[in-house]
Amino acid sequence: MDAAALLNISQVLLIAILVFVAINLYLVFRLKDIDPFRKWDPDKINGTLFLLFFVVGLPVSIVATMNWSDTFTLLIHPASEHGAEIDRMHINTMIVAILVSVVTNLILFYFSWRYRYDKDNKALYYPHNNRLEIIWTAVPAVVLTLLVFDGVGVWHDIWKEIPEDQEVVNIEVNGKQFGWTARYPGEDLTFGETNIGFISEADGNALGFNKEDEKGFDDLVVQELHLPVNKLVHIDIKSRDVLHSMTLAHFRVKMDAVPGMPTYFNFTPTITTDSMRTLKQNPDFNYEMSCQQICGGGHWNMRLIVVVESEEDYNKWLKEQKTFAQFYKELNGVDLIAQANGETETTEPSSEDGEGAEGENETEATGEVAMVK
Amino acid sequence: MSDVTQNQHHTLHDELHDHAAHHHDHHGHGNFWTTYVFSTDHKVIAKQFLITGIIMAIIGIGMSTLFRLQLAFPGQSIPLLETLLGKWAPDGQLDPNFYLALVTMHGTFMVFFVLTAGLSGTFSNFLIPLQVGARDMASGFINMLSYWFFFTSSVIMVISLFVESGPAAAGWTIYPPLSALPQAIPGSGTGMTLWLISMTLFIASSLMGGINYITTVMNLRTKGMSFDRLPLTVWAFFLTAIIGVLSFPVLFSAALLLMFDRLLGTSFYLSDIFIGGEMLHYQGGSPILYQHLFWFLGHPEVYIVLLPALGISSEVISVNSRKPIFGYKAMIASMIGIAFLSFIVWAHHMFVTGMNPFLGTVFMLFTLVIAVPSAIKAFNYITTLWKGNIRFTPAMMFAIGLVSFFITGGITGILLGNAAIDIPLHDTYFVTAHFHLVMGSASAFGLFAGVYHWFPKMFGRMMNPRLGYIHFWFTFLSLYLVFFPMHFMGLGGVARHYYQYTAFDFMGVYGDLSKFITYSAIFGFVGQLFFLANFFWNIFFGKEAPQNPWKANTLEWTTPLRPGHGNWPGEIPTVYRWPYDYSKPGVKDDFLPQHIPAEEVEYEEGFQPEMPEIEKAPRPQENPAAEETEDKEG
Ligand code: HEM
Ligand SMILES: [Cu+2]
Ligand SMILES: [Cu+2]
Repeated sequence: MDAAALLNISQVLLIAILVFVAINLYLVFRLKDIDPFRKWDPDKINGTLFLLFFVVGLPVSIVATMNWSDTFTLLIHPASEHGAEIDRMHINTMIVAILVSVVTNLILFYFSWRYRYDKDNKALYYPHNNRLEIIWTAVPAVVLTLLVFDGVGVWHDIWKEIPEDQEVVNIEVNGKQFGWTARYPGEDLTFGETNIGFISEADGNALGFNKEDEKGFDDLVVQELHLPVNKLVHIDIKSRDVLHSMTLAHFRVKMDAVPGMPTYFNFTPTITTDSMRTLKQNPDFNYEMSCQQICGGGHWNMRLIVVVESEEDYNKWLKEQKTFAQFYKELNGVDLIAQANGETETTEPSSEDGEGAEGENETEATGEVAMVK
Repeated sequence: MSDVTQNQHHTLHDELHDHAAHHHDHHGHGNFWTTYVFSTDHKVIAKQFLITGIIMAIIGIGMSTLFRLQLAFPGQSIPLLETLLGKWAPDGQLDPNFYLALVTMHGTFMVFFVLTAGLSGTFSNFLIPLQVGARDMASGFINMLSYWFFFTSSVIMVISLFVESGPAAAGWTIYPPLSALPQAIPGSGTGMTLWLISMTLFIASSLMGGINYITTVMNLRTKGMSFDRLPLTVWAFFLTAIIGVLSFPVLFSAALLLMFDRLLGTSFYLSDIFIGGEMLHYQGGSPILYQHLFWFLGHPEVYIVLLPALGISSEVISVNSRKPIFGYKAMIASMIGIAFLSFIVWAHHMFVTGMNPFLGTVFMLFTLVIAVPSAIKAFNYITTLWKGNIRFTPAMMFAIGLVSFFITGGITGILLGNAAIDIPLHDTYFVTAHFHLVMGSASAFGLFAGVYHWFPKMFGRMMNPRLGYIHFWFTFLSLYLVFFPMHFMGLGGVARHYYQYTAFDFMGVYGDLSKFITYSAIFGFVGQLFFLANFFWNIFFGKEAPQNPWKANTLEWTTPLRPGHGNWPGEIPTVYRWPYDYSKPGVKDDFLPQHIPAEEVEYEEGFQPEMPEIEKAPRPQENPAAEETEDKEG
């Protein structure tokens, strides 16, 4: 603690010293006789520095870009169909952007240096030129129009409706403070009804299944997102508390999870986790889902592993997961299936205190009787 | 003081501009309170805005130092943090909720209190009356109220930093439900209530200011000061005020509804929420509605911040290149275009928030259209430098830096404005890089350029140019070094508003870059000390300024060195030409102030001026600028 306090004091001192130095520098510069720079011509120096800034800055940025480029592997291997399209357009637009900003910055700094003050010079009186104005209105307008058309095309492809007869994998992703949960519809390919009114953390019903809806019994609730490669995936995105944003950076997928308003995103993963590991020469690589809409103290830590695999592996994995009914029975000792069939069968609950959170909300929302114990 | 306003009223009823006769010089009357505190003099109010803005900037930038330390050294103990923040940084480790609070308050302070009020409040107030040739604002009293509302709002915002549960922490855009529910984050308790109260006062202040600026520009221009002879600064402030008056009320309605949701239990923005172990009663509201309302102000707001800076740089670049601004009319047209378009692009902030994708298409089209007027402005600045005779005053350095930031930061807008490309980039550091360069850095440079340029008029003394250069190079380099690398992080998918990047493999690799950014930022903060020393020292001890230190054409330089309330001791000068006659062929000096009548212009020996009709008798409805330039072209 003492050492820490000492360190603090030294830090504060450091700041004080800097202030002092700043004021001193100022005083030094004001004393004409000892001013070492009095002969310097500020116009020449600053004009040159501007040009120098560009001449040095450009190669430095290029080197930095090359240096950091292996960390943009994100850009290099888009892992979804539409992602490849986005990246193509992204790179084209980026080239235009870089060209324009390098050239205009170059001209800006070159002119600054070239036309620096000279007392024998008089500036050119040149207030306007309509032809020039038209050129630099029209050229950006045309370039932007081309880019927009491309953009509209790609954007529409992403949001186009899935034809009735197309096979699609339906998954639901639920966000909450702070974590993601995925849900698969199970063998009946239909999700059971959920409602936040049914949520009961204590008996493991975090998604708010309606325990009377049989369609939900075979649903799978998992903490890992598995996707079959080259299959169209439709993800319904939900949140139960605040805004989150389901981000699958490697797939160029991002969509907010909005409480009270389910959203969705369709995409086709094209590279399995294994192939990506080979591509990146990183055996530990994993696709990750993150949250990119500020949602509270744990925002930075909403991680879900995503696995893309062959269809067989995917199906195998699905089979290994527990259904909601199985899970519920193990946890609470209540067989939902039997209950739904009118049988009143009870086993010993494996966990206690299932009731605590079983609030009035549930009864309110459904008029349903509290569960059998 | 009220005589001045009376005077102004007079002018509206009587002959428009002839109020010089009624004028009394107010300088010296009044006591300390009426002269420096509750002053109705626009020049004093401008300085009040400036100083308050500087204080808010110190706090705002200070907060960013703290969270940059966290980003550079995640998981490490930094004793300084505990000393400064106490319970928010136990054992020198920043609390994640407080990290978000710091980010939120940093954004709020910088966007609203520094770059909106600090910039418009200072320079619209200071320059509009001086440059249009008016004795004061249309209503000095409302102007004073505008400052005191702003001041109160600043005080409340600062107080909110110290409340028990911490300041607002939902991001500067305060999206509900996070901002509506104290259960979701502690900052959404008292802190958020204070935030909303403070913003309400802020909005009131900015409306009072805006109405005043608009009225003054429309009604109190001096004889001969037609709209096409207005300096581009005044045009920029005028359009900014119009944008503000049209958009701030919408922010108010957004804030009001949020207040209702928080305090009265209404459900404008909230629906189906289960939090803290219970289901809340809210039904049927929409968080997206809030986003529409917020960004309906939010996007115009970015131009409210930027336009004044662009106006200032137009003036500074023209004066110091000793050349007329290139494309005066095109500059005005593109500002009008930007002002109009800025109202129909707001949803580009919402491409992936669940808004209907079809709307995304529409907003993508409008957004890319707004890039065109922005491009025109950049090209016009550059052409103004061409064949100029550039004096690198500190103000000029900052103006050139502004143009560079405007280009580098603005160009990335064409990636973000493309809805499809925005999917991977939204809410990453790419956005942070984009708006810090184009809005943060460019506008801050506009503010600095303005301070360096008009300091002699504000305080009658000069700032030290050398310190100005040092300040410039520190700031220019550090801003590029801080924000340019953020593009890389954004391209790599690193999310904004993250307490640390260590949880994700694909973000964790940016640890070193993050350290580099923090070091660059500290380098930049040190540079600001040169500014603070230079500014405050020279208010009191600076060299006495000459009457017109930069040899500029605009009217403010025709006032006495330290103008009293009312600005001109005698008659208000009449205006005979546009403000950009620099290096006019045949004219002896390389500048020709607006108030010099044609017959008094000194020509070079042997030069035979053709006297256009227009210069003999000013006729506001005509357009001298165009005529003068047309015969150049032919
Ligand atoms: C010229 C002045 C400009 C300013 C002051 C400005 C300012 C900003 C700011 C503050 C944001 C961040 C909002 C946030 O997420 O918190 C932003 C984002 C954005 N800007 Fe700009 N911008 C400018 C130019 C442009 C241009 C020219 C374009 C398009 C051509 C553009 C397109 C965008 C888009 C689409 C976003 C949203 C990105 C996202 O959130 O993913 N901006 N801008
Ligand atoms: Cu989040
Ligand atoms: Cu915007």
